Amino acid sequence: MSTPETKQYTYKEWYPTTKAKAQQPDLSPEEKARPFAKYYYEEIPQPDPAHYAMMEKPCDPAKALYPEQMNDLLNPGYLDVEIGWCNLANGAGFIANKIVYPGVTAEMIDWWFAWHPLEDLRYRIWYPPQHGGIHLSPEGRKRILDESIPMSERNWGVVHHVTENCDCGMENITISFFSPKDYGFDMTRFKQPFVSTFAGGQGWAVTVDKNDESITAPAMMCHIFRDTPEGLEHRTRFWLGYRLSNGVPECTLPPGVAVPQVAVQGLARHNVKEFTRFKHFLPRIYAEFGGKMIV
Amino acid sequence: MPIKLMAASRKRPGLTRAEYQRYIEFYHGTIARQERFKIDSYVQNHVIDGAFGLLSDADHQNKVVDRDAVVEISFKNFREMMETLEPAVPSAASQDGKFFANESTNIIVMAEEEEIPVPTPLTTFNPGLGIVKGVGAMKVLQYIMRDEDVYPEDYKKYWRMAHEEAVEKAPYYKEQARRVQANWRCRANDNDGAARKHFKMVDPPVYDLVVTHWFDTMEQVGAFRQYVEAMQNSAGPKFANWSKSFYLYTKQIVIIRDTPLS
Repeated sequence: MSTPETKQYTYKEWYPTTKAKAQQPDLSPEEKARPFAKYYYEEIPQPDPAHYAMMEKPCDPAKALYPEQMNDLLNPGYLDVEIGWCNLANGAGFIANKIVYPGVTAEMIDWWFAWHPLEDLRYRIWYPPQHGGIHLSPEGRKRILDESIPMSERNWGVVHHVTENCDCGMENITISFFSPKDYGFDMTRFKQPFVSTFAGGQGWAVTVDKNDESITAPAMMCHIFRDTPEGLEHRTRFWLGYRLSNGVPECTLPPGVAVPQVAVQGLARHNVKEFTRFKHFLPRIYAEFGGKMIV
Repeated sequence: MPIKLMAASRKRPGLTRAEYQRYIEFYHGTIARQERFKIDSYVQNHVIDGAFGLLSDADHQNKVVDRDAVVEISFKNFREMMETLEPAVPSAASQDGKFFANESTNIIVMAEEEEIPVPTPLTTFNPGLGIVKGVGAMKVLQYIMRDEDVYPEDYKKYWRMAHEEAVEKAPYYKEQARRVQANWRCRANDNDGAARKHFKMVDPPVYDLVVTHWFDTMEQVGAFRQYVEAMQNSAGPKFANWSKSFYLYTKQIVIIRDTPLS
């Protein structure tokens, strides 16, 4: 029997739906009846002004982390830039963000990243102002719902087909999630207390109004978490213009081309906003639905 | 990481296949050697024979059902490919295409290679092929059109399942296939404005996968026929539009490939 979690479009059916999702329509009667629909209507908390202001101007590119240095994220302490964005010398975009979640655990993170791609509404409640929808392929859905796979591994190899606005208009973004090993982390160091969990992969983004001249832009996404006395610490890195090719980061920008600053800053601001919301609602929604996939 | 540009073209009006192939090998190939830019290797595959679609199709569903060569130009990375395709001064090679190719019908795939193990690879003894090891003299290029209902990420999985099944159901192929390479379309190909401009393409079909199969000689090409029929009848999920797929039997001509240093 079909449930909201198992509703499946073919690729040909799914793609045209993204234009409607980009319009962020009101919830359907079926969606309104979902037990977590109330989160959609909540007032969305605003970011800490001091934190948001750190995304106002670019940081010093000389202090930024390149994806080839990702294992520095496993060092104790902090890197030169933990909150900020800039263009790297090769034109790629760099974003760093850090936020601490009191009362949140690595198990909650693992559950959330597996739970939310199963239906549009789960993704929309995360950040209603800018999240349009999400979909999985049949094989991706099968893996996400496979109870024999540990929650922390459910997303490995799965592609999230996301429709969202990262402050530059609605885009269709395919995010291929990787295991930390396939992402390029040194697994001999990938353990407590340096890391508690990880969600990351390679994305390709293109406007929902794609035409023949539209640019499909690659980016590497890294969300790495570690325990601190204040709560779970979330450190984000994005490298725009990079793709992961056979496990190796490669800048995929034509010579002389840089990722537009507006795109880098837009994603940086979006990241602060959506994870400010995340901080406030993850413990509550986990208390209601945590550990379960079918609701 | 290496990236490869695969361009399947056909001859321009007025040329025979032999004239076309002679031109691209001895004239166009020479130009490429003279102005190499950042090309890592350049291989031409001259078409001997091939088939488009299925026997059950009443008519061809491809816009153009003829190919005379597939060139494979490899680069160390994406940036070097772009530097070569878009030099400050237009390259002689880019101006030469109109003299031999029906450019508007070119099919381009920017691909990343994946080696697929075969049960009976060629031994290192490879008479007549010099330093090139592990390949036969007969090369089949199989362009497989993804079924439009199938997600690209599932397509990879379904093709591999169908391939493994076909290998088991095609014993002659299992015995004779010497090397198999899957060439997966890279999403960077979505921004193929430069490639379309370089190769003068108009509304080209999009292929997510080109599989290369090597056999010892033309004598063994029937093994591929056995394999492809087994694949088209595989029991797994539908993943391909076989009516829009095609394969080419080719002879490989190396234009640029450096001798390994070791």
